[in-house]
Amino acid sequence: MDGSKNMPEPSGIGHDPQLQPYLDLHDKARGALPGERLEWHSIWRHGSMRRLADQGFPTTRDEEWRYTPLRPVLSKQFTPRQAHDEKAACAAERLESAHCAVVFVDGVLQDPISSDESVPGIRIQPIAALLERDPDCLRPYLGKSSEGPAHAFSLINNALFRDGLVIEIEPDVDCDKTVELIFVSQTGQTLVLPRIVVLSRAGSSARIVERHIGDMNPGCLTCGVNEIYLEKGARLKYHLVESASDNAYQVLGNWAYLSQDSRLDFHTVTTGGALVRNDLVVDLQEPGAQCNIRGAYCLSGRQHVDNFTTVIHSAPHCSSNEHYKGVLDQRSRAVFHGRVRVAPDAQQTDARQANNTLLLSSDAEIDTKPQLEIYADDVKCSHGATVGSLDEQAMFYLKTRGIDSDSARSMLIRAFVDEILDAAEAGAVQQHVKTLVDDKMSSFRNQQRSGRQS
Amino acid sequence: MLKINNLRASVEDKPILNGLSLEVNAGEVHAVMGPNGSGKSTLANVLAGRDQYEVTAGSVVFKDMDLLELEPEIRAREGLFLAFQYPVEIPGVSNVHMLKAALNSRRIHQGQKELDAVSFLKLIKEKAERVGMKQEFLYRAVNEGFSGGEKKRNEVLQMSLFEPSLSVLDETDSGLDIDALKIVAAGINSQRSPERAMLVVTHYQRLLDYISPDFVHVLAHGKIIRSGGKELAEELEERGYGWIEEHA
Repeated sequence: MDGSKNMPEPSGIGHDPQLQPYLDLHDKARGALPGERLEWHSIWRHGSMRRLADQGFPTTRDEEWRYTPLRPVLSKQFTPRQAHDEKAACAAERLESAHCAVVFVDGVLQDPISSDESVPGIRIQPIAALLERDPDCLRPYLGKSSEGPAHAFSLINNALFRDGLVIEIEPDVDCDKTVELIFVSQTGQTLVLPRIVVLSRAGSSARIVERHIGDMNPGCLTCGVNEIYLEKGARLKYHLVESASDNAYQVLGNWAYLSQDSRLDFHTVTTGGALVRNDLVVDLQEPGAQCNIRGAYCLSGRQHVDNFTTVIHSAPHCSSNEHYKGVLDQRSRAVFHGRVRVAPDAQQTDARQANNTLLLSSDAEIDTKPQLEIYADDVKCSHGATVGSLDEQAMFYLKTRGIDSDSARSMLIRAFVDEILDAAEAGAVQQHVKTLVDDKMSSFRNQQRSGRQS
Repeated sequence: MLKINNLRASVEDKPILNGLSLEVNAGEVHAVMGPNGSGKSTLANVLAGRDQYEVTAGSVVFKDMDLLELEPEIRAREGLFLAFQYPVEIPGVSNVHMLKAALNSRRIHQGQKELDAVSFLKLIKEKAERVGMKQEFLYRAVNEGFSGGEKKRNEVLQMSLFEPSLSVLDETDSGLDIDALKIVAAGINSQRSPERAMLVVTHYQRLLDYISPDFVHVLAHGKIIRSGGKELAEELEERGYGWIEEHA
């Protein structure tokens, strides 16, 4: 850390060799990135790359990455795309209920966002255009996530992102519509850097679904950063649905800042990806703010999914309720790290956390770690974690009713994860995530069958 | 209907059934009685096909099929029903969903058309009323939070829905107070018919006060040591299992 301030621009010499490709990308992109002509923005972008060069990539010696080795990601090279293949757009099928769908192919925004897709009361603008046209309106929001300690992948996004969106829900707009963001990966070795800023103005209410999909490809890396702001009394439901191909790498950072009496529902469902790391940081900044966090993961093969959540109770009278559930088959591995920090004056905090995992194979693994840092004395905090396998008694009971093993198994798995999936309101999103889980379960079975045959 | 010949079975290498033979014909109700550890529950579980029980010798023929070759779900679809001593609670799976899946799996197996949601609901509500089950229990998770009596009633409801040719009732009276016992017994009695048989496994005679068996068998050390009519049960009640083991 010492001397970093006086360090010259990163040249790469003497750095971790794994950093070099990213330093090269930065050198190449310099001067052509959106907003770079703005001094504050340019300082922030280049400063981010300098921080990355200083701190390097985390290793399993870092507590926050202890169970997630990055070797598979860092041993490969990824390149951002600036244009995309036209034929890709059709790959993205929007959800039935989505009123407006914005599609990114290999990280490149499909243009234009047509006016017939605009939702009254919600303004959706490409971040690159806004940085040219009206950058000052972004200044308080963009990059707040990296004010404190930032992890390497969000720094890469800061330094290199080109495309993204600013979604603003106007004050007091009660929007029953769903805004859908679809990220399609189709080209291998692509570096995808989405940047989303959500501004939920006072008293507004909205729903956003972010989906990551992709066919079989040689693997791309998505480093996404979402910065979400809820003003006084705002409500936001944010669904993150990760069903990318089993070769995809995804490191997504979500930072949410909640003002007085606002409420965030954040739901994550993960079925796809080779290595997925979801960081979720929710800062309950003012009294009366609340967040409900739900997550489900259904994995097989050698998939690795790490959910790292941090809930910060900065103000009194806030509540957080967090529940993650997962089903792991074959050699898959999941990590749940739930950090809750209660600041000294955050009295009357109500913080709950739970993680339950079902292991379907003796080779699957879950590392679950609650981390409560409580500096106030008048608080209610609870946490709990369970790990189990399918209930053999229940399986036998169902079979003696005439239900075959596969169906019985599906019934029990669905019963287990439905508690999380049902947290999405009945409708297209819930239907979609249930279908994903069902498809994943039938792939468990097929893999088992072919496994038995071989 | 069912022919058990010289059946031997063990659990974790410990022999429990030691050459049990028994024949049950359509229309008959057989009671198998015996002290704790005599192998009653093992018999019921082996018939239903539970993994942990290893059959080491003997045969079981059910409706001309080698029962022991069949998976538990196929046995069920072929008309064998096990009413559990302790019905399993399955959180998150609604009773009505399970019942519909179970009934339709049988119907498909038997070459019938699946029942759609509407016809199924009509049928199950009728059946539930007949066994005195409140409708709310259909929509709750399978057996979750049910009292002992409600769980057994749920088993009887399934008997009535599936119409099995052979019902094996494993200690159906355990955990029931006298009122629940009467209701459950009435449910069972209503399903006696010339086509259907029952094998009632029980420790106590009290269930047999309400379900009058055609035959009573006494099981000890994994074998049937005595068979007779229902008066045998009464005698056992009076004199205890010790008496019969001495005279075996």
